[in-house]
Amino acid sequence: MLESLASLAYGFTIALQPQNLLYCFIGVTMGTLVGVLPGIGPTATIALLLPATFHLNPVSAIIMLSGICYGAMYGGSTTSILLNIPGEASSVVTCLDGYQMARQGRAGPALGISAFGSFIAGTFSILGLVVLAPTLAEFGLKFGPPEYFALMIMGMSVVAYLARKSMIKALMMTVSGVILGCIGLDPITATPRFTFGILDLTDGIGLAPVVMGLFGIAEVLENLGVLTKAEIFAGKIKGLFPNRDDWQRSIGPITRGSLLGFFLGLVPGVGAIVPQFLSYALEKRLSAHPERFGSGEIEGVASPEACNNAATGGTFIPLLSLGIPSNAMTAVLLGALMIYGLTPGPLLIKNSPDLFWGVIASMYVGNILLLILNLPLIPLWVSILKIPYSYLSSFIILFCLIGAYSLNNNTTDIYIAVLFSFFGLLMKKFDFEPAPLVLAFVLGPLLETALRRSLILSDGSFLIFFQRPIAAGFILFALFVLVVPLFSKIRLGPGLGEED
Amino acid sequence: MKRTRITLNTCGAVAWFTFGLSVCYGASRLGLGNITDPGPGFIFFWSGSILTLLSLMLLFNSLQETAPEDRETGRTNWTKVACVLAALLFFAFFLEKLGFVFTTFLLLCFLLGVSGGKSWLPVLGVASAAAVGSFALFELWLKIRLPKGIFGF
Repeated sequence: MLESLASLAYGFTIALQPQNLLYCFIGVTMGTLVGVLPGIGPTATIALLLPATFHLNPVSAIIMLSGICYGAMYGGSTTSILLNIPGEASSVVTCLDGYQMARQGRAGPALGISAFGSFIAGTFSILGLVVLAPTLAEFGLKFGPPEYFALMIMGMSVVAYLARKSMIKALMMTVSGVILGCIGLDPITATPRFTFGILDLTDGIGLAPVVMGLFGIAEVLENLGVLTKAEIFAGKIKGLFPNRDDWQRSIGPITRGSLLGFFLGLVPGVGAIVPQFLSYALEKRLSAHPERFGSGEIEGVASPEACNNAATGGTFIPLLSLGIPSNAMTAVLLGALMIYGLTPGPLLIKNSPDLFWGVIASMYVGNILLLILNLPLIPLWVSILKIPYSYLSSFIILFCLIGAYSLNNNTTDIYIAVLFSFFGLLMKKFDFEPAPLVLAFVLGPLLETALRRSLILSDGSFLIFFQRPIAAGFILFALFVLVVPLFSKIRLGPGLGEED
Repeated sequence: MKRTRITLNTCGAVAWFTFGLSVCYGASRLGLGNITDPGPGFIFFWSGSILTLLSLMLLFNSLQETAPEDRETGRTNWTKVACVLAALLFFAFFLEKLGFVFTTFLLLCFLLGVSGGKSWLPVLGVASAAAVGSFALFELWLKIRLPKGIFGF
């Protein structure tokens, strides 16, 4: 513990360097902006900015990209409260009571408690990260290919299980992601696989064009000609600092939301969306007046907002200590780490302490920046939301095309982005979720390598996944998650969606 | 007697089934290797098989559907979607030939004017400012190399 705190202090010396402070500021500001804007999220933004970070050192680059991740959580709540439109999927629940509070003239306290709650939760999750990540990395050193294979299978199964719509469709997306991710040269024999003679595909399909297509352009295509002008809260926002009563009512929900979000965020595959639904349901259940939820209860804002921030911090633990992303956003971040030539996993702390501790310390710095900047900048975000959607959507498309092109300076990537945008639109229409596809797309090549190495190790016996206790634990959990819905109609994702 | 309905989900499941089988076929041509030494097609074959199986489950579920689909396929303006996709393909095709600034200007004119329904004067102003501005932002500030084309910018 003391060693971790000393390392964290070292991390602060890195995070507080003027250059890193600047990139942290850019990251959190960009994150807040894309969190505010419906139509582009942190996943697409990270992919978009990836090429722009090539001339930076990896520490500054990851500090900026991480800032986008947690900055978006702050920004997402602004549109939820003021417009009743979640800027991010992880701010959906905030709409329920946040918008009602705004309608009752309490937009200020709603925005205030959301920012303070996010800050407290962010601080908590960073402390958790400091304590748990090195321990988990130590544990991860015991992992061989079978354990990694089993962990990835567990993560992908959890993502499919938590799908908001059909689990079969989510599993289909996962398998498709593995197939698409493995396109290119075979890692052992260098045989071109499913490249159809296209030279640009021998290195595989790029992550950036896939993300730009699925998360950026597809969103714009879906809204073409149908997005009505959002009703922006017109009243003056006053009293951003919650009063004593607001604090008394919120401190419990913030604490519970932080704990719940952080620990659920640790589980590969869970991400930040489901925990906020759970935290809302928990507060509703604990409340003496559950019937008031949905009509402007501050607890209904404080808990989910704390929860999604803590969960975002939690998702960094499997990413940084095991190299396993929890959701599409951290999957793109994993891709970024690999592009910089870093190997995310248990050895990251030992081999790149600058990056590991610098990024963690920057998250705390970023949270402070967000708290200072977010509330005074709300009028600016509101004015940005008044820009007609046709302008915003045109620029989103343009930036996505630049993002797709600039990673390899290759127009094939633009064609891929366009193809995936159409595919993404069809997926939306047919209720297929893109997140499992992106996660599996990134994990696919790692999964294949781990599987093939495991089979070579075991001389072709699949029993290796059951003979090693850690791998067996992960596989059994994955099987449990996949089999339970066959015998029960209860599933966390859709169940919550309908009830709450 | 319950009548089986052919829904969009059914057609989708058949498409997925075909895709899954195609992957299996392609994988078998790549070489599956054996269980002690998996070949290049190994992961594709098993993924394709699982996909085929899942698509059959989806097909079965879709054939059981009795309620009309509540999917709001009509909400999306498909004509606009087709136009925008065509414009994006045009952008990809001409980007390296005409250069970033000019191609971006044309794309933004189209997106704002034709697709966004804005009047032409502000569209021309915004498109030209955005084309030059984004070139300055990405090429000059962020040091991302953008294609210059025949005009040299």
